[in-house]
Amino acid sequence: MDMDNLRQRKPRVGDADAQFPLNADDELKDAVPRIVYRPAKPADGTNIYIAVLLTILALVVRLYKITNPAEVVFDEVHFGGFASKYINGKFFMDVHPPLGKLLIAASGVFAGFDGSFDFKGIGSDYLGPKVPYVAMRFFPGLFGVLLVPIAFLTMKNLGYSKPSAILAALLVTFENGLVTQSRLILLDSFLVFFTGLTAMMWSEFLTYQDDPFSLGWFNSLALTGVALGLTLSVKWVGLFLVALIGLSTIQNLWKLLGDTRNSLTTIARHFIVRAICLIVIPMAVYMAMFQVHFWALPNSGSGSSFMSPEFQATLKGNEIAATIKQVGYGSKVYFRHEATNGGYLHSHKSTYPGGSKQQQMTCYPFRGFIDEFLADENSGFTLLPPLEVINGTIIETNVTEFKRIKHGDIIRLEHAVTNKRLHSHDIRAPVTDNENHYEASGYGAAGFTGDTNDHWRIEQLEFDYKNPWIDAIHTPIRLVHVNLGCKLFSHSVKLPEWGFGQQEVTCAKNGKKRLTTWRIEYNENPWLDAKAEKVNYQRPSFLKKFIEIHQTMWRINAGLTSSHPFDSRPDSWPTLKRGISFWTSKKGGGQIYLIGNPVIWYSATLSLLVYVAFEAVSAALVKRGIKVTTTGYIAQASQGGWFLFLGWFLHYIPFFLMARQLFLHHYFPALYFSILLFCAIFDTATRRLGTATQSLAALFVAAAAVWMFYEFSPLTYGTVMTKEHCKRLKWRSRWDFDCNRIGRKVKSSVSQVVSGVTGGAHGGGASPVAEAVPAGGAVAPVENPDET
Amino acid sequence: MDPHDGLRKRAVADISEEAAPLLPETDLYDKTAKPPRTTPKVFTWQPTTRDYIIGAIFTALALWTRLYKIKWADYVVWDEAHFGKFASHYIKRDFYFDVHPPLGKMLNGLAGVMAGYNGTFEFESGHKYPEEINYGVMRIVNALFGAGTVPLAYYTGIHLHLSRPAAVLLASMALLDVALLCISRFILLDSMLLFFTCLSVYTLVVFRNYQKTAPFSAQWWFWIFATGLTLGACASVKWVGFFAIALVGLHTIEELWDMFGDLKMPPTTYVQHWIARILALIVTPIAVYMFSFWLHFTILNRSGPGDAQMSSLFQANLLGSNFENNPIHVAYGSKITLKNNGHGGGLLHSHVQRFPTGSEQQQVTCYHHKDENNGWFIRKPWDQPGFNSTEETDELIKDGSIIRLVHSSTSRNLHSHNVKAPVTTSQNEVSCYGNNTVGDRNDLWKVEKVDDTVDSKGKEIRALTTRLRLRHLVTGCLLRSHSVSLPQWGFKQNEVVCEKKGDPNSRNNMWNVEQHFNEKLPMGSKADFKTSFIKDFIDLNVAMWTSNNALTPDPDKEPDALTSAPYQWPLMLVGLRMCAWGDSDVKFWLIGNPVIWWGSTASIVIISLVFFVYILRAQRKIDDWKTPESWDNFWFAVKVGVIGWVLHYGPFWIMGRVTYLHHYFPALYFAMIAFSHTVDHIGSKFPKLIHYALVLAVNIAVIANFLYFKDFAFGFNTSAFGYTGRKWLKSWNLHD
Repeated sequence: MDMDNLRQRKPRVGDADAQFPLNADDELKDAVPRIVYRPAKPADGTNIYIAVLLTILALVVRLYKITNPAEVVFDEVHFGGFASKYINGKFFMDVHPPLGKLLIAASGVFAGFDGSFDFKGIGSDYLGPKVPYVAMRFFPGLFGVLLVPIAFLTMKNLGYSKPSAILAALLVTFENGLVTQSRLILLDSFLVFFTGLTAMMWSEFLTYQDDPFSLGWFNSLALTGVALGLTLSVKWVGLFLVALIGLSTIQNLWKLLGDTRNSLTTIARHFIVRAICLIVIPMAVYMAMFQVHFWALPNSGSGSSFMSPEFQATLKGNEIAATIKQVGYGSKVYFRHEATNGGYLHSHKSTYPGGSKQQQMTCYPFRGFIDEFLADENSGFTLLPPLEVINGTIIETNVTEFKRIKHGDIIRLEHAVTNKRLHSHDIRAPVTDNENHYEASGYGAAGFTGDTNDHWRIEQLEFDYKNPWIDAIHTPIRLVHVNLGCKLFSHSVKLPEWGFGQQEVTCAKNGKKRLTTWRIEYNENPWLDAKAEKVNYQRPSFLKKFIEIHQTMWRINAGLTSSHPFDSRPDSWPTLKRGISFWTSKKGGGQIYLIGNPVIWYSATLSLLVYVAFEAVSAALVKRGIKVTTTGYIAQASQGGWFLFLGWFLHYIPFFLMARQLFLHHYFPALYFSILLFCAIFDTATRRLGTATQSLAALFVAAAAVWMFYEFSPLTYGTVMTKEHCKRLKWRSRWDFDCNRIGRKVKSSVSQVVSGVTGGAHGGGASPVAEAVPAGGAVAPVENPDET
Repeated sequence: MDPHDGLRKRAVADISEEAAPLLPETDLYDKTAKPPRTTPKVFTWQPTTRDYIIGAIFTALALWTRLYKIKWADYVVWDEAHFGKFASHYIKRDFYFDVHPPLGKMLNGLAGVMAGYNGTFEFESGHKYPEEINYGVMRIVNALFGAGTVPLAYYTGIHLHLSRPAAVLLASMALLDVALLCISRFILLDSMLLFFTCLSVYTLVVFRNYQKTAPFSAQWWFWIFATGLTLGACASVKWVGFFAIALVGLHTIEELWDMFGDLKMPPTTYVQHWIARILALIVTPIAVYMFSFWLHFTILNRSGPGDAQMSSLFQANLLGSNFENNPIHVAYGSKITLKNNGHGGGLLHSHVQRFPTGSEQQQVTCYHHKDENNGWFIRKPWDQPGFNSTEETDELIKDGSIIRLVHSSTSRNLHSHNVKAPVTTSQNEVSCYGNNTVGDRNDLWKVEKVDDTVDSKGKEIRALTTRLRLRHLVTGCLLRSHSVSLPQWGFKQNEVVCEKKGDPNSRNNMWNVEQHFNEKLPMGSKADFKTSFIKDFIDLNVAMWTSNNALTPDPDKEPDALTSAPYQWPLMLVGLRMCAWGDSDVKFWLIGNPVIWWGSTASIVIISLVFFVYILRAQRKIDDWKTPESWDNFWFAVKVGVIGWVLHYGPFWIMGRVTYLHHYFPALYFAMIAFSHTVDHIGSKFPKLIHYALVLAVNIAVIANFLYFKDFAFGFNTSAFGYTGRKWLKSWNLHD
């Protein structure tokens, strides 16, 4: 709130000049009377030329040697793989929204990629299978290049001087981390690009503050919304950007509200236009991307099993045939477990190694076509009526006619193949060994009647007295063990090898409702012929699919808690504690290691501290009635700082709340804002020196950055460097790129060739760490020299 | 806050229209240091005789409601099973462990002493109290705390500058909420927590008034320290008290920030304000909190069920622990238990169950419970003579010795290898493998001495006092345990891993020998083992934190009917059966007074909107306030009510642990403040008659609902179906 206060306290017209004799910097003079964000208009014609020149420079710097290496690098494993799946139209599940992957796939299509390469492991060769990887890298690379002019224009829009804006663009160009990440088949260059684009459009909009409802005002606002939607469609990190633009909008409206010359109707108009442009448009863009996603993936694929049966029914090759509605005794049925993607209640000839040693009951999914599904007889169960006790003897009841089953009926379930009956008893479950779970097993045989522990009560989940029938597909059901009162239960816990890794099924007391819910997905009955009424899943609407896919993405995202050798926590990012090994040449050549340009990275981090200190001092001074920092050129120069700082803050702090696996490149959007903030502070500090001196200072900073970029460039481009060079780059011990192997190249070249056969065999490890160990060097004692 | 700032500057202080007697200016200020202010101040908030009478009436009513038929249920109700038992521990003086700080439980222990109770009853849930326990006295002590909240609510209202009818409404709600009443009548912690929460709000509110009118006066000093003491007590009953500290903290930061902008205040005065607050609001609560733990340790001087949560040295100092019989130096052939030195670390443990993943060998875990599965024999490495001997020897273990650790009950060797640990997959697994004659080099560990509280220079390893590391000989990793729980298959015990590139300074990688058996060696004595209060204090708090976080719901189980989720509370979607539900049992159903619960939740929303509208209007340069004080008082009441509610309610959303309905009660008190403030504020826009009539109408609704629902708090021994008209929501579990 107090920060807001500061922002509102606008310098009054003309009260700055007297205090601070300025050099004849015409930009600044122009600035003084303007109150809020200084418009860049009347457009400075040279800006466009500068932007073009910067773009050309960036093209050279960022696309240099993009063909190197001709192997799969780091997460190209995933994102290249997704491109293949789009091209084949096979439905897959991923935690990210579709836009970035669609763009990669599109570039693949243009380049003639047929989707047959599977991007299986880091280090897989591209040249052999003729993958158009250069085109596929070029496309994200181009987005990375365009970030450069965007940085320049954003700084100009925020009212910073030309040298400072050019400096910002140069620092973005020569930031090793941004360069590394944007020349590979990854999503981050799209993400950072759209983030930058949104910030640029918004800064553009802010320049129209004294010309509301003009064409430029509308355009820039609407484009902000479009760019926001696109960012959100690449990664959910875009939500932080939504927060940034949202807060900035509130601040913007608050200011309008405070100006009593604006009538309430005007303010309402302002509000409505913003709501449409910044809420409706991004939502529409985002949802449209998912529609494209669904169109592009019409076929069943690896992601099908994550989705509900309703959803799966929309995928080709996964259609579930309509089945007979009425369920009766004698029906052969398949039970599907609702909440997990474990599949169908299943049994097979193997027995439990412990407990009762009776036959296993599991959940087993089927993959493939509907015919194969029916061929999997092991999931078929016959519904039998309960045993009857007459004069102390137990008798099987015969089924002689169709009798429909309703809520509360007692049934037995006989496994179609082995004739064992679904059974439970007071023995603990095989894996979930606690007092809440009884074993569920298969017991009995054809001709052997069994006992009342085979009795299950079939129930509707929510009893509907008007329609008490148990119907196939439409009725979610529960199976309650009559003697124990427990309910048939399954959860995503896998049985060990003896259970073939299938999912555990137990009878649970007090089990979670959704985990005890089943559905009859297939039903045939000897007394009902093919003409009987059939049912099928309802095809979900787009909105339902959209919501479901989000629930699934959220669940998977929250489940990404396992650790990765190169994951990191947010606190290590601003200080660049450690990089990520992306790729290491098997032939002893270069390596790609994601690491920032230390000069730029540390300056950016430092600028954050400077900014916080500045605001703190400023707030304290204002509170004491001293207005040095809120009037005059300092106020002018630091005007955009708040926006940039907030951008950094909102793209960084939320990561602390995330329990999931995180990586250094998650910091990149925040890094972008902090680089711009550094240049904003640079501008504030040097503006009074005049354009010439400021340019010289900018040149000096840029030169330092370029020199450092050059130093670290072998790790960025994956080119060969000397061992000495490599060791020189080891500023910190945790920067664990491998220097030792460089020297070994010549000496061990023979043995490399000899052992090359074994090296090739396990060249497909998905984890980059597998590649950090020299291939074929199984005997070599050196794993990683930094380990000691 | 913006309008706050703006308004304060703009408006000129004038005398409030509700003219109250002026106190002489000279009485208001510290005569020595402070420059007198230019505007006269008005004590509109000092209670009058009439207020004392009203307070007395409320106290009497509170005592009656809290004590009425308090002994009727002659069996252990609800969590009396826990807190009664803890009281027994204080009386018997044996060390126990629990997730809550000790103050409330010690007060219950004191109540037990007052009742003449000897600590022998087991307090099993639902069991009938035996003749010799005067459980009524123990309940009365709790009830008295509960009764105290009612007059406090009244005076809080008065000091918050609410109108008198609104203050009556606030007290009336504290008196007549069925849930607060019910929870105050048993041997629990909640009535004490509520009392200290109410008291801290009261002290804060009174203090603020002195801060506005007479800083550094005697009363000012009294109330600032009273606030600090109360906050300390509050946090010493339950950690929820820290939310009250947060409220006071936020208010204090704002206050100091405002004073910073007061250009007339001399810097020395400003510094004095800081110092006073640091002493009263930071140092004092910490001191109270620590003192409660000091008392806890002092009272509980015998070995008991909670030993294992504490360090070995602490345990050695408890009466009845047999550690003094430990031989001091550890040798080959000794049988030992190994205690992890991480905060709240357990004992190295193994059992016959196997890992379901990785090597699928026998599990090794860290576990607090003391049993035979914690025992390990120290054996020689495979390549030394006598490696398969099971004899005790006097060959001492030294820094650098290579040993094998053989699990005493399964005879398997402590083992590690290049297999991913089950949960922390970046580290190596530790398992049990082979037996005393079968094994490999992966069973060998090197002992590294870290330090020793008695003899740091010597090479020998001493039981209890030496901290050591165990380094896996082949891979060089360090044996580590940390507060990561294994899944159900590992019984939620702590994971043990071998940390590659192990940090030698991490306490999680350090161990000490706890119990030690070796007949060949001489015994030690208690004098060798010293411990420090601060270390024990931190250990216990970390252990409490860890256990508290481990109280997570089972993801496979439908939550039982006793627990509830935060979203259900403000709308009172659930009730809680506190005991068995037979028709003839004396039953208590924890459910609120619907008018209070629903009204207070609504008023949180309404007053927030009203506040927002004022802010918008201020931005439009519309002045709604006659004096800056009137805005200030409004904002302060919103702050106490709404922000107090948010601070006491919001955190439960992000807590992983299981939550219960009564966790909402402190938040409810703040919501009540917001409720009476909202009614009062809206009423004040109308003529006085309508204003008071409105407040009275709400109060009558509160009373009526209380009369309708009162049996649930006083108890009822007829069928719950007889009350079926009171089952207003389908989700209320009054009857099935």
